[in-house]
Amino acid sequence: MLTHDASADLVHRAQRGEAKAFTGLVQAFLRPAYSIALSVVGRPADAEDIAQEAFLKAFQSLDTCREPERFAAWLFQIVRNRARNLLDSRRLRDVAPEGARILEFVTLPPETAGMRESLLSALADLDVEKREVVLLHDLENWTHNEIAVALDISEVSSRQHLFHARQILRAKLGDEQPKGRHTGSEGNHAR
Amino acid sequence: MQDDQQDDGMEDCIDFAALDPSRNELRWTRTMDALVGKALAERRKRLSIEQQLLRWARPVLAVAAGLSFVAWTAGYLASNRAHPISTLENPPALNLANWAANNQIPEPSDLFGTLGGN
Repeated sequence: MLTHDASADLVHRAQRGEAKAFTGLVQAFLRPAYSIALSVVGRPADAEDIAQEAFLKAFQSLDTCREPERFAAWLFQIVRNRARNLLDSRRLRDVAPEGARILEFVTLPPETAGMRESLLSALADLDVEKREVVLLHDLENWTHNEIAVALDISEVSSRQHLFHARQILRAKLGDEQPKGRHTGSEGNHAR
Repeated sequence: MQDDQQDDGMEDCIDFAALDPSRNELRWTRTMDALVGKALAERRKRLSIEQQLLRWARPVLAVAAGLSFVAWTAGYLASNRAHPISTLENPPALNLANWAANNQIPEPSDLFGTLGGN
């Protein structure tokens, strides 16, 4: 994740219309925005759409971002609002979610699709805050300090959420989740 | 930052690689590029609307100034015309009647003034 100063600098430059600043913000925060959306809606495809829509909304109203150094927290609030709106409309329409999810997995290798299904199912057992913390920490490699600032919680809470989330996930995933540091998302973020 | 993560025991971290949207790097790069392109296009569109408004602002202000000048002139002329209204207090017919009643012969200038001349 970017430092607060770097975030603020990118936001200021984007407010002036610098194309490179827009790119910098997207590179730094699109994946974390996806993680937050996924924590709420539970479907990767929906989460991607929400993250992109939220980014567009954020860029449209960038001038109203009062604390550019806390851009992530501001963006995440937009993401959560969009995600909740989607959940509400999904409830109203009573759309069967499984069909969409099956279609989504068709393009994935069977072993990946199976693991993804297992992870989504296990994540569903956590509350939203734990999901946000564990995804930001273990998928995005954010530190507890960064998570605490972005989610507006204390570092201690972040650590507690992570600890409990991992316990629950391990119990649910069992042998499917081998212990050890993964390398899937490392190196994606400028620090 | 890495120290912080080692304190958390990264060896215990959950492998979420299957949920990583950037697993397909090419697709993810395209997604990011498309998003930035769309954001910039929307910004240009918004700026163009603001520029058009600015472009129209000057003629609109000029027309408004012209209208206000016309309105002010009309008001000024109306207030000037109000002056002869005082003669309505002594309408020509009354003056003529007074002269007739008092058997006066008006001066030509008075007669001219009463009948509307200057």
